[in-house]
Formats: sequence, C-alpha cells, structure tokens
Amino acid sequence: MRKSPAIDLLRRLSGDLWNVAVDEHVEGHLSRRDLIRYASLIGLTGFAASQNFGIIGQARAQGKPGGTIRVGVDSPSGAIDPVTITSPPAITVLSQVGEYLVFDDADKGLVPSLALSWEANDKGDVWTFKLRPGVKFHDGRVMSAKDVVASFDRLVDPNGPSSALSAYKGLLSKGAIKAVDDMTVSFTLDAPNGNFPFYVSSDVVNCIIIPADFSGNYEASFMGTGPFKLDTFQAKKGVSFVRNDEYWGEKALPDRIEITFFDDYQAILLAMQAGQMDIMPYTPRLAPAFDHNPSLKILTIPSSAYDEVHMRVDQTPFKDKRVRRAMALTIDRDAVTKGLLKGRATPANDHPFAPIFPSAVEMPQRKQDIAEAKRLLAEAGVPNGFEVTLTTEQAYSLPDYAVLMQNFAKLAGIDIKLNVEPQDSYYGEAVYGKSDWLDSVMGLTDYGHRGTPDIFLNATLRSTGTWNAAHFNNPTYDGLVAQYAASRDLKSQREAATKIQELLMDETPLIIAYFSKFCLVTAAKVQGVRFTAISHVLLDRATVA
Amino acid sequence: MTYFQPASPVLSKPPVDVEGADARPRRAAPALRSPTLILGVVVLVFWVFCAILGTHVVPFDPYADNVLSTFTPPDSEHWFGTDQLGRDVFSRVIVGSRDILTVAPLATVLGVGLGAVLGLLLGYVGGWFDATVSRILDALMALPLVVLALMTLVAVGASNLGVILVIGFVYAPIVARTVRTAVYAQRELDYVSAARLSGAGPIVVMFREILPNVRQPILIEAIVRLGYAFFTVATLSFLGLGIQPPSADWGLAIADGYVFLSGGLWWVVTFNGLAIISLVVATNLIAEGLGAFETR
Repeated sequence: MRKSPAIDLLRRLSGDLWNVAVDEHVEGHLSRRDLIRYASLIGLTGFAASQNFGIIGQARAQGKPGGTIRVGVDSPSGAIDPVTITSPPAITVLSQVGEYLVFDDADKGLVPSLALSWEANDKGDVWTFKLRPGVKFHDGRVMSAKDVVASFDRLVDPNGPSSALSAYKGLLSKGAIKAVDDMTVSFTLDAPNGNFPFYVSSDVVNCIIIPADFSGNYEASFMGTGPFKLDTFQAKKGVSFVRNDEYWGEKALPDRIEITFFDDYQAILLAMQAGQMDIMPYTPRLAPAFDHNPSLKILTIPSSAYDEVHMRVDQTPFKDKRVRRAMALTIDRDAVTKGLLKGRATPANDHPFAPIFPSAVEMPQRKQDIAEAKRLLAEAGVPNGFEVTLTTEQAYSLPDYAVLMQNFAKLAGIDIKLNVEPQDSYYGEAVYGKSDWLDSVMGLTDYGHRGTPDIFLNATLRSTGTWNAAHFNNPTYDGLVAQYAASRDLKSQREAATKIQELLMDETPLIIAYFSKFCLVTAAKVQGVRFTAISHVLLDRATVA
Repeated sequence: MTYFQPASPVLSKPPVDVEGADARPRRAAPALRSPTLILGVVVLVFWVFCAILGTHVVPFDPYADNVLSTFTPPDSEHWFGTDQLGRDVFSRVIVGSRDILTVAPLATVLGVGLGAVLGLLLGYVGGWFDATVSRILDALMALPLVVLALMTLVAVGASNLGVILVIGFVYAPIVARTVRTAVYAQRELDYVSAARLSGAGPIVVMFREILPNVRQPILIEAIVRLGYAFFTVATLSFLGLGIQPPSADWGLAIADGYVFLSGGLWWVVTFNGLAIISLVVATNLIAEGLGAFETR
C-alpha cells in the first residue's frame, strides 16, 4: 500500500471506520470528494471544514448586498407547516426561515448547521449530536435540546400528522430522542444505521427545528432560526421575509425575499421573461422554452432523483424475470438522457444507487440491445411479444418518457398501451388496493432526491415496503438491505451495495433508466443562489448584480 | 286533404310528409347555392378524408420520434415543424383528425338520440312527469358542462369510450329540452289527435307521427351539438382527461405544446389550434347554412 505523510495524517484523524475509508481512497476506489463527504457522515466535521467543506453559508457575494430577491413558485398544496409539508414550493418557502441539525449540501455533503458535531456508538444504533450554542429563534428565545427533542417527537408520533413517518419507520420511535443536557441530544435507533445523520438533515425536509411549544399554526409566525424572518404572508398569494439581524451565522445579504405563488407554471415563466421574477423552479419539459434565453441561466446540481418503471413481479406478463430484463433492454438510455432530458441526467442501471452516493459501485452500463431482448422474450415463451398497459401520471416529462418507452418496446414486439392519469387519480389513496401507482401491472412514477439510497431500497423494493409497486418479494434482497443499513464502514456498505446492484439488475423489478440532475432557473443578473435537489433554495448569500 | 279522410291513413301521411315529398327537390337547389353551407361541407369533408386516409398520405410516420432533434421550426422538410419528441407536426395534424372525428360524432349521436327520446316523452306525456324530469334536467344543466364531464371522467377513468359516454349524457338534457319544446307545439295539432283517435298507441304517435315533424330542430341541434362536441373533446384532451398519448389528437398536442409558447416555439400549438378552429367553424357554417335553408 502506498505510504505518504499526507495519508498518515489522514489516518490519525479518527478510528477504524475512517481508516477503512482512507484505505478505499488510497486504493483508488473512493474519490477525494467522496472521502470528505464520508468524513462528514461519521462526524469528522472538523476535517470536512478544513477542506473548505465547512459550514453552510460560505459562498462569496458577487454583487451588491441589499435589495429584494423575487421568487416565483407553484402554489403550495395545503398549509405550510414543517411537520406536514411535502410540496417543493413549501420547501422553498421554509428554507428561508427554518434550519436543520445538519444540512446536506449538494457540493459538500453533510455540513453542520444547528448541530456542531455528531458521533455514533460502535454498534451504530445510538447517535449523539452536540448543538450549536447561541442560536435564537426569531422571537428571541434560545434554541436548546428540548426544542430538538420536541421537533423530532412530533415527526415520529404515529398518531400525529407527520409526513416523515415513512422515513423514520423501523428506524426511530417516539421517546427515543433524549436531551442529554441543554446542548446535547441522543437518538436511540430501532436498528443500527450508518447513514443516520442524513435522517436528521435537510434530506428529511420536515425535520426543521421549531420551538418546543409550537401550537400547530405555523403560517401565523413562520418561527425558525433561519437567516430570514416573516414579514407578511397571504395564503394562496405569497409570502415575504426580511433579514433576521439576530441570525447566528453571517447575516443575510438581501434585505428582503418575496415569494409569489402561481397557479400556472407558464405564468411564472412569463413573469421571469418580463423581469418580474429572479428565480423559478425548473422542469426538463420546459427547457426548450428558456434554454436559449440570455437573460436567464439554468443552475444544475447532481441528484439521486429518478423516474421508475415498475413491473409487477407477481402478475403476467412480468412474472418471468427474463421478460422484465427484456423490457429494460429495449430502452435507449442515451437518447432519453440527451434528448428528452436535454443532457441534464445520467444513464442508470435499474437500481437506485445514484453516482452521488459514496456507497454506489460503478458497473457496466446497461444499454439498448433489441436482439438480446428478443432472445430473452423467446426464451421466456413470448417470442412475438405481448400487450401491456403502462399507467402513469400527468406530470413533468413522464407522459413523453412513456411515449418513448412505447416506441422502444415496439422494436422488440412489445405493444405498450398508455394510460396517463391526473396525479390525484394515479396516486389514489396511496395504499395497496386503492392506488393505480401501487396496483398497476406496469407504472411510471417520479421519485425525488434523497441523500442516501436507504428509503429507495426499503420503501420501493423491500417485501414490507410501503411503495413497493413492483410487489418485489425477495428474501435475499431483504437480507442484503438490512446488511447494508447496518454497515458502519464504507467498505462493508459497498460490498452490500455491489450485491444489491447485481441482484436488482438480474431480477429487474424496476427500470431506472436515468438519474436526473436538479436545476433551478435564475435571472442572469442574480448571483450566490444555492439550492438542494429537494427544492431548498438558500438566498442568504444571493445578490443582484 | 283533411286528416279525417278514411282513404288517407293518418299514420302514413302526416302533413309534413305530404309537403316534404314535393318540397324536397325544390329545397336542394337553394341549399347548394348557400356559400356558408358549401364552405362548411368542403372543410368537413377534407378532415373526414384526412381521418380515413391520413396515415397513407402523410410524409412521415406521425408516431415516430426523433428525440435527438426536437422542436425543428417549420421548413421545407417539416412543413409544420417538429414537436417535443421530434415528431412531424404536419403528419400529426393530418392524422390527428381521426380521434376527434370518431369520438365527437359518436358522442353527438348518443346525446341527440337520448335527448330526442327524452324530449319526445317529456313533451308528449307532459303533466307531473314533464314538470319533475324537466326540473332535474334544469339542475343538471346548471352545472358547467366541462366541470360535469371532468368529474365523471375522473371517476370512470379517461378513455375514448368514457369521453363518448360523458359527452353524450351531458348533451342529452340540452337536446331533450329543445325537442320537448318542439313536441309541445305539435302535440295539440289535429294530426296528432287524429292519430290518437284512430287507435294509435303513444309510442306510435310519438315516433311515427310527431318525430318526423320535429326533425328540423333535431337536425339543427345535432349539428350545433357536433360543433360543441368537437370543442369539448379537444378541451378534455387538453385537460388530460380525454384521448390518450401517443394519439396525434389536436387537444392533446396543444396541451403538450402550450408550455413552450413563451419560448417562441409556436408551431405545435398554432397548427393544431387552427385545425380545431377549422373543424368547429365548418360545423357551425353547416348548421347556419342548413338553418337558413330550413327556415326559408
């Protein structure tokens, strides 16, 4: 093994877990970027900071401080409340006022926010977080461990309205969050999990820290610890925030943030083109409408978001894995990523390990192979193909992707009929037996970015998963996922990930043809905007040139 | 001629038939001279031709994508440009007439058929039956047509058959009210009384005596409804509740293309929109031409 003073220095930073990762790095299996991201995960925040991967809010201002930043978003669905939000516009709104223990930065990985540091016990089932001192809520009260405990207790309460219950299922239960002292919180997990810091980070959008005595009407105060505080809020119209001069970190540059709610995406685009908005969300479908507009720019970050085609493994014609593999082999992934998604995506291999996950293992890219697809179909007893209905939702680029899939499948003799439904009809009640999403023999569904693959691996593919639309029931897979979740060191995670990826490519219950990049559209004159692939938009360093 | 002449059976020779038998040849000439009617028929026949033979005459496969070359502006190769999946818009507009020209006429036939039967019953039976059912129909008609159609399609699911049934059932009360009014004007006339006196049952009186004499308002209503049906089918497709992809349906194409308008990508919406306009206007021209000629 190569020896160098720099590597020795790295090794001395922490114990065995860290040294396994350093070994992976030395052997060339782990990039420097992934090593630093891993350092953050296991709580080596000092090392991450020393590599300029420190706390959030370090972007340098390139324009004049002050002024107003105007954001156009869709109307949020339902009330804006950290405990219940799921919609991207609500996440954008809350990212002005609310903060997390840890922030999952698109570039830097996990960075300390309201928590300064964290560590786990050897088993990985008790995680302890040290809180940042001197943090105040907008009403002047100091944030302490009891606020953190109350915030998480709300989220894991099975009788409450929390939208994060599925994320914490089997991981964290009510009563398992304890204040060790005023500035220390411990989480005792239901099962060991090496990725737990992601679960208290911005990846779980609901886990914003709010006061312990939160009454339930969040829109009345938008109380948080963030760099902006509420000025005015008008339901269905918009919300404005002003700089929080008591903020614990660097004070925000803009004087004011105005977020306007629109019923129609087209209206936001027109407002952008007219110079009445500075920032708007992006969808690949609309890219041709602003790709060549010099007054706008599209900012891009990698993400783990994907569109999943599920095939019911318990129903004809997909009972035979050769048929499922054949279907996957019909897809021209390059054409989809370059054409449909305008290059803002990377081809994938029918498993949810996106390249952004350090545990992902690179494997040969699955490509369109019509001859092999036909051979598999013949071997499976359907040499002339078959007819099947693909159900999907009227959202984003999904109907267009479905049309492309239909044309690809035709090359192998498979006749796909399309059933494109409004989103409400498609998701139904989102439980088995009452949802086209979960019941259809073949469906196409969009999944948003997550910081770890855990929720994808568990919810969409495990036999007990609540989003298991493919009805995949494979004990070997279930065991591998449990092994993956319990792995503390990166090498073990990668070993488990390799087996999971191989198994999923062989069984192919899902077609995951690409991982989309996440984009944001801003006016060309706006600088310093940072965002996450889950729609957080951080404007404290934003300026208008 | 009187209706009481035993030699002239009432049931076989109602007054309109007597006049119509002589008048029909005389009416054909003014109808053919109506420019609005002729223009409407020409446009409609053009689209019917496209619906039947369109796939054989278009320059490109309307369903073949070329996703690496999307949104080509109109040029000598792609006269109407290409869409978001690189498909030829001209070929899709031509072929796109098929679904709308299948769904809308079938929906109209269903609506007019049901409405005519219901209107005959209401107008002929009258009394409490008319009063009760008419109020129910009024209540149904108070709901906006598209909202009613939307609610039903969300419940039963989007499909061509669903759209036909929904539009048919939504139009039936409108047609019924028109027919009822026309039947009211007929039911006290002597030929109806004569039919009753000669022993004809209500079904025979309604369908063999009265129906031929209210065919004019039914015909006009049918053509007007057809125009509305074209528009409704396009609207439902636009809202994602009608005809399904990858159909080249015009409403669907506008729904797919309108978001790109502000980026200067106008051709998908414009050419599909013009197609819908031409079809709806043609139908209305026919209705207007026929109406003018029928009331002459």
